[in-house]
Amino acid sequence: MAKEVVTKGPSDERWFDVIVYLIAAVIILIVLYPLLFVVSASFSDPARVLNGEVWLLPKGVTLEAYNNILHNDQIWTGYRNSIFYTVVGTLINIVMTLLAAYPLSRPDLPGRKGLMLIITLTMFFSGGLIPSYLLVKSLGMVDTMWALIIPGAISTYNLIVMRTYFQSSIPWELQEAAHIDGCSNWRLLVSIILPLSKPILAVMVLFYAVGHWNAFFNALIYIRSEHLYPLQLVLREILMISQSTGVDGGNVGMEEKILLSESIKFAVIIVSSLPVLVMYPFVQRHFVKGVMIGSIKG
Amino acid sequence: MKNAEIHETAAAAKFRSERGSRLIKQIVKRYDLYLMLLLPIAWYLLFHYGPLYGLQIAFKNFNPGKGILGSSWVGFDNFQRFFDSYYFWRLLWNTLSINLFSLILAFPIPILLALLINEIKSKSYSKLLQNITYIPHFISVVVIVGILTVLLSTNGPINMLIQALGGSEIRFMESAGWFKTIFIGSNIWQNMGWQSIIYIAALSGINPQLYEAAKMDGASRMRRIWHVSLPGIVPVIVILLILDIGQFMNIGFEKILLMQNNLNLEASDVISTFVYTTGILKGEYSYTAAIGLFNSLINLTLLLLVNRFARKTSETSLW
Amino acid sequence: MRKQWGIATISTMLIAALVLGGCGSGSGTKNNAASNGEGVAEVSKDGFPIVQEPVKLKMFTRIAPVNGPFKDMPVFQDYEKMSNVQVEFIEAPTDGFQEKKNLLFASNELPDVMYRSGISPLEAVRYGSGGQLIPLENMIEEYAPNFNKLMEQYPEIRASITTPEGHIYTLPGIVTLGSARTDKIWINQAWLKKLNLKEPQTLDDLYEVLVAFRDQDPNGNGKQDELPLTARKGLPIVVLMSGAFGLDQQFGYNINIVGDKVEIWMGNERNKELLMFLNKLYTEKLLDPELFSHTEAQFLAKQGTGNTGVFFDQTNNNFLPIAGQYTGLAPFEGPHGDRLQSQGAPVPRDQGAFAITSVNKYPEVSMRWIDYFYSDEGSTLLRFGREGEHYELVDGIPTYKPEYSTAETQPKITPYAGGGAPHLISDYVASYINPPQVQEAQKKMDPFMPKIRYAAPMFDEATAQKVNTLRNDIDKYYEEQSTKFIAGALSFDKWGEFQATLKKMNIEELQQIYQEAYDKMEK
Repeated sequence: MAKEVVTKGPSDERWFDVIVYLIAAVIILIVLYPLLFVVSASFSDPARVLNGEVWLLPKGVTLEAYNNILHNDQIWTGYRNSIFYTVVGTLINIVMTLLAAYPLSRPDLPGRKGLMLIITLTMFFSGGLIPSYLLVKSLGMVDTMWALIIPGAISTYNLIVMRTYFQSSIPWELQEAAHIDGCSNWRLLVSIILPLSKPILAVMVLFYAVGHWNAFFNALIYIRSEHLYPLQLVLREILMISQSTGVDGGNVGMEEKILLSESIKFAVIIVSSLPVLVMYPFVQRHFVKGVMIGSIKG
Repeated sequence: MKNAEIHETAAAAKFRSERGSRLIKQIVKRYDLYLMLLLPIAWYLLFHYGPLYGLQIAFKNFNPGKGILGSSWVGFDNFQRFFDSYYFWRLLWNTLSINLFSLILAFPIPILLALLINEIKSKSYSKLLQNITYIPHFISVVVIVGILTVLLSTNGPINMLIQALGGSEIRFMESAGWFKTIFIGSNIWQNMGWQSIIYIAALSGINPQLYEAAKMDGASRMRRIWHVSLPGIVPVIVILLILDIGQFMNIGFEKILLMQNNLNLEASDVISTFVYTTGILKGEYSYTAAIGLFNSLINLTLLLLVNRFARKTSETSLW
Repeated sequence: MRKQWGIATISTMLIAALVLGGCGSGSGTKNNAASNGEGVAEVSKDGFPIVQEPVKLKMFTRIAPVNGPFKDMPVFQDYEKMSNVQVEFIEAPTDGFQEKKNLLFASNELPDVMYRSGISPLEAVRYGSGGQLIPLENMIEEYAPNFNKLMEQYPEIRASITTPEGHIYTLPGIVTLGSARTDKIWINQAWLKKLNLKEPQTLDDLYEVLVAFRDQDPNGNGKQDELPLTARKGLPIVVLMSGAFGLDQQFGYNINIVGDKVEIWMGNERNKELLMFLNKLYTEKLLDPELFSHTEAQFLAKQGTGNTGVFFDQTNNNFLPIAGQYTGLAPFEGPHGDRLQSQGAPVPRDQGAFAITSVNKYPEVSMRWIDYFYSDEGSTLLRFGREGEHYELVDGIPTYKPEYSTAETQPKITPYAGGGAPHLISDYVASYINPPQVQEAQKKMDPFMPKIRYAAPMFDEATAQKVNTLRNDIDKYYEEQSTKFIAGALSFDKWGEFQATLKKMNIEELQQIYQEAYDKMEK
């Protein structure tokens, strides 16, 4: 930025900067506090958390919760599964979305509006749980990992975002020129469109991957075998136990299980969110770089 | 062929002019585009349109033993039951109002955040702000509600602060009056950073020369935001707004369900939670299919209205 | 252009719908009459093995978070050898079980048997009359002698599982042990002693004791941090205290039966008094301010601290380390002289625990298979495992060996842990859940138990649907308003409005339906 500022005095600019920085600082504090609380709680004596003694720093520091998790096979299986679902699922998502978004972005494609309508309508109507379940069942995917990947292969929302990007950010004349050079549409997609689409691909990978990592409802419905459970379902089970009420008689061990869950829940939250948080800065570098090359313009 | 200023609409117009006898030729020439579409469209037909026949159970008394097709028709009975229900108006009002407040409060905030981030000159500071505001998005709703419960409980930190300041304790989670504030507030907290991604991307694509020009004209920072940044991202805003309104009636039922209790039910009872508790848990599939259909119709109507409005006013639309 | 596409879409949709519709509805309603034949010939009516040639059954079951895999449990390993019935369990975790169970029925993806499945009366009628569950009544006498004996002994069992058409679609878990059906009232006797107070007998006594607990610092730390009274989250407290106002809990609902008249008492003046009493406790901070928000974990933690005056729970398992500090109480006497233990499960406690589906080729074998667990012997095998390895007889009563009385090990060897398993819980198998302290507490309650406690009745499908529709609205309204009355979020000036709304929701029609069910039962 230029040092000499035109017409408006430098103090004005300075004040503006100060206010911007202050607001940003306040936002950071508000966002960070609950997160710090969870971290502190995960290192604290669970009884003191339940009693509300912890508010910022850990009380009665203990690593018991993490130790418990370390020896919990369920969590590690969930971890492995979630990574698999996220990687394979996202790959399929990207390919499918790309295959749909690109042709639909072409203004010279006959029938494009009709197809778009067909696709958009699906955001509003669904046959409901039962027919969907019947379908997945008849495809033989119930209680297999595919039930978590194939039925959600495309997110219409993401498809629309991607299509909008192609329409607005990749010059049409470029594509026409390529055509005149005798370039097929496949070649065009692979060697011209894709290299220009890094930012949107980065965004899509992020959207889809986080979606997979946090998803659990389909698993709740379609997966019975615990060795196929994604991490979120394991997490949910742990968190739900402490929510459960009115356990009827003959429930030996339930109390202990509940109290155990209560004591490890904050640590489980940390452990399950960690991979995404750790990965994020790496993805983000590409992401920001991509965004700088070109972006979603009007 | 004049390719000087090719633009989507121009191309489409050209295409239209060549319509008719050349249509077939057009299609054949672009057969590979259809080839690309083959898989996705097949997927849409199978996974979205395939199960649509299930909508008929809204007009039936679904009996699993007889199957969907074999169950008997009951006409609009299920709809009638919903409209007559004591809770109909409350469900409708809560669903509408939570969404309306969300739209008014939660929609603009990511835009403001993106503008703020765009104004921060220190790269590392803006990165810090971005990275921190993204974090909550990665936390699942179950956890978010868990955190809310602890933070807002009577012996939680917030109430301790209130009491230290001389106020009396507030039962946030057990009050209908606070429910919407907490729900929307925590949504904003969780998602503002994430939702600002698209706007930040769009902002960074604005031609820097525009800012320089505005500066030369003596525009202040506020004016530059108003006249350069904002117009630069309007199309993105419009598309996202349309999509949001299209999903107007769909609020994350999971989170509401987890926050729900008898003391805040008056404010937290919404169509989606009602569908879940009476439908999936109590097995009233026909009744809830009818409610779901009603919900979809409202959504669709809203979408069509907004899309038309957007096309007229800003030339941006979904189709 | 658009038109053409529209037509294309619609026709594709139609085709898809037809194809899929075919998958969805077919194959399900298999007739079981034909397949019955296969099983009957081989099944022996008494003794073991049940069948000479091994038979395979698929059972859908709920697995609690505390349990391990069912195939590793001694009971199922031993019983397979004993009966020659090989069971393959399809286990679904408790979280999400309800969804999965409903989907099984909705998609007609049936196992042979539903085991520990918590099928509600409405579901039983719906799936039974839809042909997915088969009627069991004709098999009971011949193939389920133990269960039959229990039905004769406790008539309320038959009443609770028979539909108006006379069908029985599910078998419940049976609890003849009285103390497994009530929540005891536990009071902190250490505090009573310290403050020189007597065990409260009436509600007025209780009030005074609670005030003393709150104000007189019985834990002696100089702070007013005692919690006088707490209970499980939400409205269980109403059920626990309603007996003092003469309000009973029949048919698993807020129902009094007085002289053959069924009365739903939610809008009754007595209920108003009850709610006002609870409201008084709540506003004076005698009743836990977190009653409507605390989690099960927090409630259990409150039991274990010893810093709680009075609470309700079935056993002393949750506060075992400080159990000596507490003692059980008799129900309190109310202002009108009523004294009744209103809370309590009926003998057929766990409804819908067992059912046989239409795809089962061996219904008689399945029936014999389950019947064993309705005997003391079978129940012992189920709850305690192998003698010598998991349990020993102490004074003639099975008692866990120390290594299997921990919360970690015990639930791994028995499906009773986690609740809802179809079997008999009698005095004989209750050494663990009914220790002397609990027995004593139950003894204080016994004089005030109602003579008979009816479980929720079965209706025919149309009526069940009607009850369901009515109760969806009424229960939701009642729970919400009661909570508000107690918490003081709603003034008692609105009582008239509350009554009027209940009436508008057709509570009288609901009462009439229950009346008819009662009349039919008594005939």
